[in-house]
Amino acid sequence: MIDVQNLTKQYAGRTAVDGIGFHVEPGEIVGFLGPNGAGKTTTMRILSGFMPATSGKVTVAGFDVFRHSLEVRRAVGYMPEMAPLYVDMKVKEYLRFRAELKGLGGHSMRRRVGEVMELCGLTDVRRRLIDNLSKGFRQRVALADALVHDPKLLILDEPTNGLDPVQIRQVRELLRELRTRHTVLLSTHILHEVEVTCDRVIMLNKGRILADDSPRNLASKLNASTVVRLEVETKDEKAPVKLEGIQGVRKCTEETVEGGAWRHFMLRVEPGFDVREAVQALATTEAWRVLELHRELPNLEDVFVELASSAEVMKGGRLS
Amino acid sequence: MRGFWVMLKKELRMFFVSPVAYVVLALVMVLNGFAFRAALSILESAPSEGSIVTWTFQPQWFWLSYFFVFPLLTMRTFAEERRLGTFETLFTAPVRAWQVVAGKFVATLIIYALLWAPSFFNFRVAHWISAGQVEIPAGTMGGSYIILLAMGMFNLAVGIFASSLTRNQIVAAILSFTLSLCHFLLGVFVMVIGRKISDSVVDVVAYFASAEHIRIFTSGLIDTRPLIYYSSLTLLFLSFTLQVVEFRRWKP
Repeated sequence: MIDVQNLTKQYAGRTAVDGIGFHVEPGEIVGFLGPNGAGKTTTMRILSGFMPATSGKVTVAGFDVFRHSLEVRRAVGYMPEMAPLYVDMKVKEYLRFRAELKGLGGHSMRRRVGEVMELCGLTDVRRRLIDNLSKGFRQRVALADALVHDPKLLILDEPTNGLDPVQIRQVRELLRELRTRHTVLLSTHILHEVEVTCDRVIMLNKGRILADDSPRNLASKLNASTVVRLEVETKDEKAPVKLEGIQGVRKCTEETVEGGAWRHFMLRVEPGFDVREAVQALATTEAWRVLELHRELPNLEDVFVELASSAEVMKGGRLS
Repeated sequence: MRGFWVMLKKELRMFFVSPVAYVVLALVMVLNGFAFRAALSILESAPSEGSIVTWTFQPQWFWLSYFFVFPLLTMRTFAEERRLGTFETLFTAPVRAWQVVAGKFVATLIIYALLWAPSFFNFRVAHWISAGQVEIPAGTMGGSYIILLAMGMFNLAVGIFASSLTRNQIVAAILSFTLSLCHFLLGVFVMVIGRKISDSVVDVVAYFASAEHIRIFTSGLIDTRPLIYYSSLTLLFLSFTLQVVEFRRWKP
C-alpha cells in the first residue's frame, strides 16, 4: 500500500526527514511514533501529496505521489493535525462539500455522508455549526471527512490529540472497526496509544527511523531492565539487603507505606534475568508472607527512551 | 471541471453565511445612492450632454466607494484557508489547483456583479417615474456595466493574489487596496503630469488609465483595447496566484 524508499525532506537549512524507507502492507494499522519534531507530520504530508519530497521515491496505492498526485489523493483519506475545518459550515454541509470535492455526487454522495456520520457518531450534531462543536466532535468531523470517499489508505496525524480519555477510547474503537476495510497509518507521540492500536510501530527520531517492528517484539527484543514488585509481611530489618543478595538484582528500594504490616519493595533487575523464583524461595526460607510478586515488562516508553539514547551514543546510527 | 463547480458553490454559500457580502452590498448601495442623487442634481441644475448614467459613474466620488469593494470581497479567499489550516485539506483532496483558483475567482466576480444590480434599478426607476424624461441610453448603460465588470475582474484577481500571499486577512486587504490604488493613481498622476510633458505620454498612459476608460465607456463608446488589457491582466494575476498556491506545494 505504501512504499517509501530513501525519502528525504529538507526545509530551508533544516533536514526534517533524513533518508527513511519503509513499507506498509494492505490491511495493516501502522503507528508513527516519535517526539514532536521527529518528522512524522512531514512524512505524512508527503504521503498525502500535500508537499513534495526533496529526494526519494514514494509510492502510495501503486501510484507515484509526485507524478500521479491526483490518483494518490483519490486513494488516500488524510486527516491533518489539529483537524482544520471550515468553522462557518454545518457538519452535514461540510461533509457534503468534501464528498463532492472528492468526486462523489447525487444519491450515492448523500448516502455515503449519512453512513460516515453514523459511523463517527455525528448524526445528532449534523445540523450544528462546526464553530460551536467541542474539540472531540471536530476531531470526529475531520475523521468522517477522511473516510467519506472510502479511501484505501487512511493517514491520520495525531487523531487523538486533545481528546479526553473517553473520546480517545472511542476513536481507538473506531480505528479497530476500520481496519477491516482500510489500511491505516497514524501518528502519535503517546506511546501507550500504539501499544493498544497498532500492528506495527515505526519509531522516528530526528528524521530517522529508530525501529520498525510490532510493539510486542520491540519490547521483548530490547534488553531493557525489568522491575519486580514485591509486597510482603516481615519485620526483618535486613530484608532489602537479603533481596539485593539475589543474583541479578541490581538494587532494592523499599517504598514507605503508611500503616499496616505490609512492606513494598521494588527490585531493579539486570537485563536477561528473571528473579521471581529466587525471591519466592527466599521468602519461603525466611518465612515472609507474600501478598504480591509481580514483574513489570518494559513498555514502549522504556524502549523508546532506550533506543533514542543509544542512537545518540551511536551518533545517529540506525538500530532496527 | 467538477472541482471548479464544487468550489464555486461552496465559495458563494460561504459569502452569504458570513456578514461580508451584506456589509459590502449595503456600503455600495449607500454610496451608489449618493452618486445617483448627485447625478440627478447635476442634470436638474443645467442642461448637460451626458446622461444620468454618465454622471453617476464619471465623477470623482464614484472612486471613493469603488476601491473598498475589492479588499472586502477578496481578503478571505486564500488567507482564511491558510489561517484555518484548511489549505491542507483542500489540496489533499483530488482537486486541481486551477480549479480552486478559478472557483474562488468566479464566485467573487458573481458577488461583485450583484453589487451593481441596485444601481441598474435606480436608473430604470428614474426613467419610469419621470415618464421617460430621464433618458438612459442603451449605449451608456451597456458601456458602463461592461467596463465596471472588466475593471472588477482585474481588481478581484489582484485581491485574490494578495490573499494567497498571506494568512492574515488584514494584510491581504491592505495589499490588495494598495495594488489596486497604485494602478489607478499611475493612470491619474501621469495623465496630470503628462500634460506638462507631452501629449505622446498621455496617449500611452491612456491605455492603462482606469479613469479614462470609465470616461470613454460611460459615454457609450465601447473600445476593445481596455477590455483586452483588463482581461489579460486578470489572467496574469490569476496565474500568479496559481503559481503561489502551487509553489508552496511542489517546490522543495
